[in-house]
Amino acid sequence: MSSIEEKLWDYIDGFGTAEERQAVAKLIADDEAYGNKYRGLIKLNAEFAAIEVDEPSMAFTYKVMETIRTEHAQQPLKATVNRRIIWGIAAFFILTITALVIFAFGSADWHATANMKLPDSVSINKVPDLFTAPVVKGFLFFDVVLGLFLLDAYLRRKSVAKHP
Amino acid sequence: MSSEGVYNMQSKLTDIELIQQTLDGNQSAYADLVKRHQRFVFTLALRFAKGREDAEEIAQDCFIKAYRSLSSFQQQSKFSTWLYSIVYTTAMTFLRKKRVNTASIDEEESFLQIESKPGSYDENNVENKSRSYYLNQAIGQLLPDDATIITLFYQGEQSLEEIAKATGMEANTVKVKLFRARQRLKDRLERNLKHEVNELI
Repeated sequence: MSSIEEKLWDYIDGFGTAEERQAVAKLIADDEAYGNKYRGLIKLNAEFAAIEVDEPSMAFTYKVMETIRTEHAQQPLKATVNRRIIWGIAAFFILTITALVIFAFGSADWHATANMKLPDSVSINKVPDLFTAPVVKGFLFFDVVLGLFLLDAYLRRKSVAKHP
Repeated sequence: MSSEGVYNMQSKLTDIELIQQTLDGNQSAYADLVKRHQRFVFTLALRFAKGREDAEEIAQDCFIKAYRSLSSFQQQSKFSTWLYSIVYTTAMTFLRKKRVNTASIDEEESFLQIESKPGSYDENNVENKSRSYYLNQAIGQLLPDDATIITLFYQGEQSLEEIAKATGMEANTVKVKLFRARQRLKDRLERNLKHEVNELI
């Protein structure tokens, strides 16, 4: 029984070779049982095709677009930076550094070995003077504050990860 | 209504043109695309979720996912086929999650339970019940896979190959499943109609 239906559905859907289709068409014309079955299925096929699609709520498109918009707004700025800009900056630095290195090696006098001289004016006694200067004190103080600040942030992040 | 090449009221552009505009940063082009496909995607989601709220959530999720991966759409298939494959996987994930929540209930049984609830539309009193109402009721009673294949084939106007692509099955498997789904739908329809006649008597 089911093989008859299967053949008829194939015929309705337009599957199968030309010979197969011709054979089924002949059966439909000659065999009354086939013909009745075929007409039933044709009607069913039209009904299946006429099943209506449902409509979502009115605000559907709006909701989708709102979600997309907020997602876009939340995207951090660094994520949207063009990769080519980053590569451009990297290429600039790589190029300048290699140029400098090549220039340095190129301009070095490789034969001058024995007569290396340190400048006379640098005296080791003057170094402690530099550290007593208020500028350096201020600099160190700033560093300590910055260090504590970063340590605090690091410890906070750790505790958040442990107890969310 | 197939999607490519068909012009509708919202936009005279084809799907591919709308996608191109969206990728160029025009969000309203995507809104047009959503408007064009939302009814079918929602219907497809409804074949899985049965409840309108859940179906709407699935459908929304699908469009957001599609937007995110729009640049990876290769244009080798129709946009609708690609979109329906997203709907299929999203809805499947939804069902799997739901099944975990109601793990003890057998699949067939759970759908029978849902279907035996009275219809949610007030206008469905006996006089107004047409054959199309019974058909809708019957398709709601099918298992998601059967209902999806029927919906994709008839309402989505997808070929067997396209359905195969969207559902990740073999084209031959789809053909067999379509045949069985049609038979089950026919049986359901006949059973429901007979039941209704008995009640009237």
